[in-house]
Amino acid sequence: MSHAPEVLGDAPDVADAERLDEATGKKLVKVAGAVAALGLLLCIAAYATDAKRFAFSYLTGFMWVVTIGLGALFFVILQHITKAGWSVAARRHMEWVSAILPVAIVLAIPVILGAHDLYHHWMGPQAASDPILVKKVAWLNPGFFYARLAIYFTLWATLAWWFARTSRKQDESGDVELTHSMQRVSAPSVLLFALSLSFGAFDILMSLAPHWYSTIFGVYIFAGSVVSALAVLALITVGLQGGGWLKRVSTVEHQHDVGKLMFAFTVFWAYIGFSQFMLIWYANMPEETIWFHDRWQGSWKAVSLTLLFGHFIVPFCFLLSRHVKRHKRALVAAAIWMLAMHYVDLYWMIMPTLDTGSAHPSWIDLAGLLGPLGVLALVIACKASRGPLYPLRDPRLAETRRHVNL
Amino acid sequence: MAHTESSAGSATPAAAAAVAAAVDVATRPFALVGHFESPAQLYRACETLRDAGYEHFDAHTPFPVHGLERAMGLPASKLPWVVLCGGTAGLSLAVWLAYYSQEVWYRHNIGGKEAFAIPSLIPIFFELTILLSSFAAFFGLWAMNKQPEFFHPVMQHPSFHRASDDLFFIAVEARDPKYDPVATRALLETLGTRELAEVAP
Amino acid sequence: MSAAKTPDPSGEIRNDLMEDPRERAPLVLGGQNFHTVSNKVAGIVEEKTSLKWILGLGLAMSIMLILVGSIGKLVHTGIGVWGNNHPVGWAWDITGFVFWIGIGHAGTLISAILFLLRQKWRTSINRAAEAMTIFAVMCAGLYPAFHVGRVWFAYWLFPFPGQMGLWPNFKSPLVWDVFAVSTYATVSILFWFVGLVPDLALMRDRAKTKLRHTVYGIFALGWRGSHRHWLNYERAYLILAGLSTPLVLSVHSIVSFDFAVSLLPGWHTTIFPPYFVAGAIFSGFAMVMTLLIIARKLVGLEHLITMRHLENMNKIMLATGTMVGYAYGMEFFIAWYSGNEYERFAFINRAIGPYAWAYWTMVSCNVIFPQLFWFKKVRTSIPAMFVLSIIVNIGMWFERFVIIVTSLHRDFIPSSWSYFRPRLVDISMFAGTFGLFFTMFLLFCRYLPMLAVFEVKGVMPAADPHHEPAAGLGSVGSGKGGHGHGAH
Repeated sequence: MSHAPEVLGDAPDVADAERLDEATGKKLVKVAGAVAALGLLLCIAAYATDAKRFAFSYLTGFMWVVTIGLGALFFVILQHITKAGWSVAARRHMEWVSAILPVAIVLAIPVILGAHDLYHHWMGPQAASDPILVKKVAWLNPGFFYARLAIYFTLWATLAWWFARTSRKQDESGDVELTHSMQRVSAPSVLLFALSLSFGAFDILMSLAPHWYSTIFGVYIFAGSVVSALAVLALITVGLQGGGWLKRVSTVEHQHDVGKLMFAFTVFWAYIGFSQFMLIWYANMPEETIWFHDRWQGSWKAVSLTLLFGHFIVPFCFLLSRHVKRHKRALVAAAIWMLAMHYVDLYWMIMPTLDTGSAHPSWIDLAGLLGPLGVLALVIACKASRGPLYPLRDPRLAETRRHVNL
Repeated sequence: MAHTESSAGSATPAAAAAVAAAVDVATRPFALVGHFESPAQLYRACETLRDAGYEHFDAHTPFPVHGLERAMGLPASKLPWVVLCGGTAGLSLAVWLAYYSQEVWYRHNIGGKEAFAIPSLIPIFFELTILLSSFAAFFGLWAMNKQPEFFHPVMQHPSFHRASDDLFFIAVEARDPKYDPVATRALLETLGTRELAEVAP
Repeated sequence: MSAAKTPDPSGEIRNDLMEDPRERAPLVLGGQNFHTVSNKVAGIVEEKTSLKWILGLGLAMSIMLILVGSIGKLVHTGIGVWGNNHPVGWAWDITGFVFWIGIGHAGTLISAILFLLRQKWRTSINRAAEAMTIFAVMCAGLYPAFHVGRVWFAYWLFPFPGQMGLWPNFKSPLVWDVFAVSTYATVSILFWFVGLVPDLALMRDRAKTKLRHTVYGIFALGWRGSHRHWLNYERAYLILAGLSTPLVLSVHSIVSFDFAVSLLPGWHTTIFPPYFVAGAIFSGFAMVMTLLIIARKLVGLEHLITMRHLENMNKIMLATGTMVGYAYGMEFFIAWYSGNEYERFAFINRAIGPYAWAYWTMVSCNVIFPQLFWFKKVRTSIPAMFVLSIIVNIGMWFERFVIIVTSLHRDFIPSSWSYFRPRLVDISMFAGTFGLFFTMFLLFCRYLPMLAVFEVKGVMPAADPHHEPAAGLGSVGSGKGGHGHGAH
């Protein structure tokens, strides 16, 4: 291998903390804020036009940002649990992304308002006469459902807030003990995370088709979350590096690692997706196959194939090469592509409940995406413009600076 | 070490095989070989040789010294391309085998599935791709290294048995245009090379 | 480096538990240098054969004789000597197969996945774990091979153009198994051999006898540590690691497909592939742990396989054990959530039916006891981790038994319900596979370097060409042969 390691600048110290300059920060917040405002306006218009469709469209966009935030939270926890050294700067960026989770409590309000449309199969009056749903009523009833949602979102918000806050505290104090305490908390956190994400996936997404069940569904959502969070991380990393920041803590080697992880989780997503599909397809039991059958009708078939090629085969071939992962524009293209595919994945899971027989994309779907997307961008922009761009006094900062891929 | 066999290809006539090795070495050695006690010294020596314009020199180390290829000015390994070919061959073989055996030669309706039902063939596609990629990596490695090669001139250095233990060898080959028996030796000595010795081809 | 003179090596090992995020802890203790590491590891192979080893091999080979006898009986009489019968048509045979295949997965995890994740501590344990992988796959392979009854026709499992014009059904998960397990065995051997070559060259270069020099020399392929070779070598190693990683996932996923593609409640569930992979790694780590705790003590490798290594392995066991617990929970929840009465029955029957004893053994061994690894005291106590590793081995055998037998013994027609009891050959064959496994492992320990010497050297601070202060220290004392033999 002949790549010469980039030469890093002097060791960072607190005196010349790397922050976004005020003008850039303001500009970012303005642009993101404009997108968010436009998105929210469109959302209101969409709600006024077709409240039912809007509920589904909004759920898709909402889950798109929530899963990205969850993937980011997982990344943060994972870096602590594994005592990772390469990812010190990346961890801070993922802390920004996970800051969407506290905001998601507010963003969830339209979902709650639209719940009777979204979950009409089991919330509606016909559920009482459905022999299968009657057996599930202890789980699938509105009161318990809302209580569970409250638990999930509170937990996610607390974890995201706590890890980001403790990390920021270390910026001020440089206390090594804070690293230890984040490590200690990370192990039980990952357990809570796994359970809440799985049940959250069952409740919010799987119960849209309340007869259907799949034990791997939580893992499938998890895989998509991590891929898309890493895609956002790739955008932030390349964006900041390209703008001339992070000169002292992040090189093409770190970008390469983000690319590798994105590649690995793309393969993981395909593995989980294939396991779920193949086992159901093979056994061919009506109550399970129906879910995939619905997604093989009319134009849904094209969406299914788009996922197969767009979420796996194409990015797999593209990201296989190390040159792509180390090339800034190529990695950005791959990241945007994966984010789009993650949206398609959610669309494919959620919308067939409404658009049975065939997909009917509408401007309302775009509104449902643009609102949450704008808020996510705004959250990241605010976080990025307000604090240091990397943990200034992380004890592993020296290690991250030395990082080279073999 | 028996080196007379391999010296047949040198300018020396075959009859001179009986002549003492030292004479042979003096006329046309294979390389000047010496060693260091640390990777850091070897690294500096390689950088110096590279900057002095040497190309035909090699390092022999007990473990891969990371980054040494940069100090030596070597290009990256081409092995990934070999593996890519192996993987493509494996996938093609699997698809061909599955298609002919399931669809053409021995077609049966099993479990109501199509004869060439792709979801149920993916495991086989996958395994054969991995198998042939691994073969390509394994055999490609030894082919590119030209191994097995049980004799190599540098092995004649009296301490070379420690190249797998704790010494870090440098060998500057005589065919290098920059090679000069006196100047090269002097250069290596200033770098702290120990036990410098010329080895016969 | 003065620590090398500390008379009590255990003092060193206790220091190993310090945690400072500002610097990575050393992976090699006891003031070792390159030469003492070579001496330590190669010394195990070069020493005179110890009585302990001969006794161990004798015991292992005696147990292997039980395997030979059982297989003789099986082939001579037919597979009816196993207790399998309707409706439990699969029992100890496939339990043993899945158990052994699973054991092998830890070796690949350590050699490939931890390599890709840059976990340098793997260097002290990967060689032995990879060897274990190969031997475990050998044990596993016995079951499908002899399960066909007429073992001389076992080659019919492979696709080949025979005069009968028959081809195996590629849509059958059992044929996927044939592809997966044979690919896994082949790639594991290739990967292992690639890793061995530089160390075989070390053995060749240290050989005192002509025979050793020749035999190690042939297998070392003339390796001379040329950096031009190392470049290809490291790339090949990385690629093989990259190929082994999805391979190891695929192998146990395909093993899980044997069950999960069916319609049987308790078998047909989508979480099976990752759940089986996690369980496989879990059980494999338990086996690596059991073996290394003994081997490390017997041959005095405490400075190379340190407490930190053991603790890390315990953490991986805790993580994978918890994943297995997650899968148990999800299966149970979804069985209830499905509203499907067959699914619900299968799981309730596991917990309170005739095999409840096996189910609760499984849950306590795999989920409850490993929770003790949350405590650092337990993670760093050799007796505790030894006992826990054996508990996990037992639990993971029971997991396969529970999945296989409890799902089968309650057929859809209550009139065919039954209770499986193993017959003598079931038990003796499974017990005998341990003989084969330990025989191979003991031979490996005796004739091949059981640690990857060149990789261990590569993670020592002196191996870094930019590590100026320590440069040169790496070979201090290199002239004093035998310096590192103190622990023997």
